[in-house]
Amino acid sequence: MMPFAEIVREALSSQAAAKQRTILALIGIVIGIGSVIALVTVGQMVQLTSLQQFQQMGTNIITVQRGWGDKGGGNAKQQGPSQHMTWGDAEDLKANVSGLEMVAPYTSTWGQPLYTDRPLDMPVMGVTRSFADINKLEVLKGRFISDLDGYSFFGVLGAGAAQKLAKLGVADPVGKTVFFKKRGFKIVGVLKRTAEGGMRPYEINPGMMIPVRTSYLFKRERNVNEIMARLAPNADRHLVIKAVKRYFKQRHPGMLTQVRSAEQLIAEMAKQSQLFTLLLGAIGSISLLVGGIGVMNVMLVAVTERRKEIGIRRALGAEQIDIQAQFLVESVILCLAGGLIGIALGVGAAYVLSKVNGWIFFVSGWGLALGVGVSSAIGVFFGYFPARQASRLNPILALRDE
Amino acid sequence: MILVMNIIELKGITKTYHIGDMAVDVLKGVDLSVETGELLAIMGESGGGKSTLMNIIGFLDSPSGGAYHFEDQDASHLTDNQLAHIRNQKIGFVFQQFNLLPRLSALDNVSLPLVYRGVERSQRTEIASEMLKRVGMADRMTHRPPELSGGQQQRVAIARALSGKPTIILADEPTGALDSQVSQEIMEIFLKLNQDQKITTVMVTHDPKVGQQCRRTVRMSDGRLAEV
Repeated sequence: MMPFAEIVREALSSQAAAKQRTILALIGIVIGIGSVIALVTVGQMVQLTSLQQFQQMGTNIITVQRGWGDKGGGNAKQQGPSQHMTWGDAEDLKANVSGLEMVAPYTSTWGQPLYTDRPLDMPVMGVTRSFADINKLEVLKGRFISDLDGYSFFGVLGAGAAQKLAKLGVADPVGKTVFFKKRGFKIVGVLKRTAEGGMRPYEINPGMMIPVRTSYLFKRERNVNEIMARLAPNADRHLVIKAVKRYFKQRHPGMLTQVRSAEQLIAEMAKQSQLFTLLLGAIGSISLLVGGIGVMNVMLVAVTERRKEIGIRRALGAEQIDIQAQFLVESVILCLAGGLIGIALGVGAAYVLSKVNGWIFFVSGWGLALGVGVSSAIGVFFGYFPARQASRLNPILALRDE
Repeated sequence: MILVMNIIELKGITKTYHIGDMAVDVLKGVDLSVETGELLAIMGESGGGKSTLMNIIGFLDSPSGGAYHFEDQDASHLTDNQLAHIRNQKIGFVFQQFNLLPRLSALDNVSLPLVYRGVERSQRTEIASEMLKRVGMADRMTHRPPELSGGQQQRVAIARALSGKPTIILADEPTGALDSQVSQEIMEIFLKLNQDQKITTVMVTHDPKVGQQCRRTVRMSDGRLAEV
């Protein structure tokens, strides 16, 4: 039998000879591998990016919200507004549930903040000092809300909110006044931009934070939107979550309480991205199947076109296995070339997406190996039949072919 | 070795092709012996079974009946791989249409039988260039067949047939596609190889001028051979 290096050399030169057809055959493989690589890479980047956000905040955070299931909704209607988490619930929570180190309830207040007479379209949250600790907020200028602020009309702007004011010509908002509900709020601080996602409320960057007591001046009920809490070191997450649920069940029988932990969210995300990857894998597989059939077609045409060559090689002493290996290697090289181009395009697309969306750019070696492996496998699978056909040609008939 | 032996010994060789329900007897009992160092011409009209006989002698086809001894060994029933192996080791083919691979240089074409023998590249190149020199193509080694004239291509094809140091050269109408002057040049190469290097050659031709120059001529007609 012919040495393997020779087979590869022959295959390369045959491919180079049939450039146009080669390129056409490659398109399916390029698209298939390219999309799989791009999508898998994007999935991994999104996961990594959100994981990092969690890590920044710490994974020992839980959030407590009123659930919105049928039961909670129905009871809320029946029993009225008392079926909400209240400021009192939050204040007593730490004393009643062991294993909580810090509790940060926050409120949302509807309304349109104004600078002079310009609408700012920013959410307004009532927060405590602990909100900054739990969310790891960093102050760029001035200070955060303090628990000593009481009912004062102070506001702290998120990075996005500050940018909005900057567009209105306010370079340094600290000391300026933003009007909300016909009251003037003196801006006492501006935050650095925080990474979005994870457990952080989305309102931080675009919003204005005011003392939680002040926010109650505009509300009939002293409700809270969500309670964020940090677990004490060594606290058992499952026990704490159970205790929190029990605590709310006692205070609001019939209200559904939803407790979420960072770890739980991460697990959910992993599950989601798994599903996503599976789905995209299926789409990629279909394009690869189509591409593979294209390659098979090209190889069948090549076998027909090169009957004479096959006959000559057989006359000079090539065994069937030599001919089969030659066409199989050609098919694999074809698919591998398509795969490599696809990988390059897929990684390129993922890079562009990561830059546009601010994800961490990351390409896993596992994904690349998969791309290379899958494209070679397609070459073998779809090249096998044409190669076998080539090897079984009758040398005399093949030689006689013009 | 002065021992003269028969390289080829055919006895009652028949070949029947089945086309649909019809059976066509192309060879009807061919007897032929070829001795070492012979230069034999097989002549006859087209369709007489010359090419079929050459294919059987060259192990490209198997006979339907009869006995074929090659170098004193029974060669009637061989597997596909064994046939390929004998073609590679023992036979040098020269075809009417040259049958060079158009993508490969003259040198690579000549090397091809050695590739299937697993000979190393440097050694292949050495042998192939030696063979090309022998047929007067030393200055065209890197040319590809489409860049060569018919006569030049046939010289490359002869070099290819020689590169494997075969026991016998089988030439099927080697001058059939060439004009008479070039035909004579090619014929002289065959004569010279036979005289100087005692290379056994069997040639199929319908050209009497080619046949006359061979030391022995047999005529094929209606599936049978007759000495001339």
